[in-house]
Amino acid sequence: MYDLVIILILTALGYFAGSWAEQKHYRSIEKREQAMLKVPVTTMKKIKLPRERIEKACLVTGSAVISVDYFKRLLASLRNIFGGTVASYESLLDRARREALLRMRESAPGASLFLNVRIETSTIGRYSAKRNIASLEAMAYGTAVYLRKKNETHAAPAQP
Amino acid sequence: MTEKQMQNLAGRRKKIVLTNIETIPGRRIVEHFGLVSGSTIRAKHLGRDLMASLKNLVGGELKGYTQLLSESRDQATRRMIRQAEDMGANAIVNVRFSTSSVAQGAAELYAYGTAVRVE
Amino acid sequence: MARLSTCAKKMKHTPRLPSRNHNVTPVSPIRELLILLGGLVAAMVLIYVLLGLGADLLVEHISPQTEQKLASFFAPKKNPGQGQSAKEQWLQSLVDRMESKKCVRLPYPITVQVSPGKHVNAMALPGGRIVVLDGLLERVRSENEMAFILAHELGHFKHRDHLRGLGRGLVFAVVSTLIGGSDGALAGLVQRSVQVSESSFSRDQESAADSYAQDVLNCTYGHVSGATDFFHHMPKKQDPGAFGHYFSSHPENQRRINSLLNRQQEKHYPNGTRIPLPPGSRKDVSPPK
Repeated sequence: MYDLVIILILTALGYFAGSWAEQKHYRSIEKREQAMLKVPVTTMKKIKLPRERIEKACLVTGSAVISVDYFKRLLASLRNIFGGTVASYESLLDRARREALLRMRESAPGASLFLNVRIETSTIGRYSAKRNIASLEAMAYGTAVYLRKKNETHAAPAQP
Repeated sequence: MTEKQMQNLAGRRKKIVLTNIETIPGRRIVEHFGLVSGSTIRAKHLGRDLMASLKNLVGGELKGYTQLLSESRDQATRRMIRQAEDMGANAIVNVRFSTSSVAQGAAELYAYGTAVRVE
Repeated sequence: MARLSTCAKKMKHTPRLPSRNHNVTPVSPIRELLILLGGLVAAMVLIYVLLGLGADLLVEHISPQTEQKLASFFAPKKNPGQGQSAKEQWLQSLVDRMESKKCVRLPYPITVQVSPGKHVNAMALPGGRIVVLDGLLERVRSENEMAFILAHELGHFKHRDHLRGLGRGLVFAVVSTLIGGSDGALAGLVQRSVQVSESSFSRDQESAADSYAQDVLNCTYGHVSGATDFFHHMPKKQDPGAFGHYFSSHPENQRRINSLLNRQQEKHYPNGTRIPLPPGSRKDVSPPK
């Protein structure tokens, strides 16, 4: 009897706390994406760049680990019985990836563009017979290219 | 834009081209909009899981799961295309896929690429 | 010579964001939970009903001989050399008397065993064995009371309750592992609901056994006094009370007493004098506290 009550409490806790955290996170993500709009992010490797303006290029990464809550896990295991889209995990994946991408961009604040961006996802957690997943890790990595501004002159010694 | 409006728009426009190379062969990229992605996670029902466990004994192709993965792929790609159309692109280049096992008996697929406009 | 411009026009970057999030299905999670849970409950109810019908059909086809053979597999036989103790002999005589008076017609011979144990309980084991615990013998005050208890267990044999319970319980255990085995949350839910259904299943069987025992008592002794005595003598601790009774396999004692009294009135069973216990029957039992 008490086990049912405990399950109910955990589910309710998971739902309310989880959806509050999710809304907050999404608002933060959207705000930061809007702010970072100017700097292009692409999966392409070759973009025409003015060679004389390239200052440096380096690998940057960003990662985020988002955890599952009780409510989502319950929904997912119910879905496992009947089949179909596991809607409760979709927002989790989305948030983790967008967060990882944003962190990658934030780690290179002066960059002009990001090339060859790749995103990897994996699950972290105890894999006992009863657990599905404990948390999700998303990692975004790419090459950040820093271009000098147009009116800046080259610091190297020019011809006399 | 509502779902219906987007579908109408998709019907009127030419189909979006996808490649996983840098360019669309024969066309020229004039504008790029940024990263677009589509992700999905689908589960198969209990019957298919049971069949899969039985198949574990005898070996062979798990047709149920193959179908599940291809459905996931279709849905993820469709979502990515919708995002690109939303941005006003007509092609996606350098498309990459990534899968991960997120839950037991569920397939997760992630497709991402750069949305561009070609002419 | 002017160089022909073969360079492609530089790619323009236009930053855009999608208007809405395409990667998340816009469905209310609560609604999804209710729909899925409803589907699950409906499926389990369906399985339960089908199982019940199936078990009843199957039980008809298992002959008592087969049942005895099966039982001897699982339950160890008592050493034949030991014979029955004085207590056991007395209990056996009660059963034999019911049989000789044609008040019970059993498909196979019944043996009674006494087991040491403080608990107040008697069990019907498959294959025709009744096991009475010492704790119960301590509480019994008259022969009629003991006869009622024995007849109640005989009722379980007659209705083949343990067979039905076994079949259903087994399939339910398998199904609940299949469904809930992959996740702790769901397995817990499924287990709890299975427990509830299993308890009510054997509760009906207990009531049926009570009614049967009352009939046997009336037939053997000519009256039904002593039928409700044991429910009064049961220690307070074991009476599950108002809240616990949904999860226990025996209905609350008061309800059983009431239904027995009502039935007595309906069938016009008379009351009579209780036969006291034979003088030596409680010799080797520890003195009552």
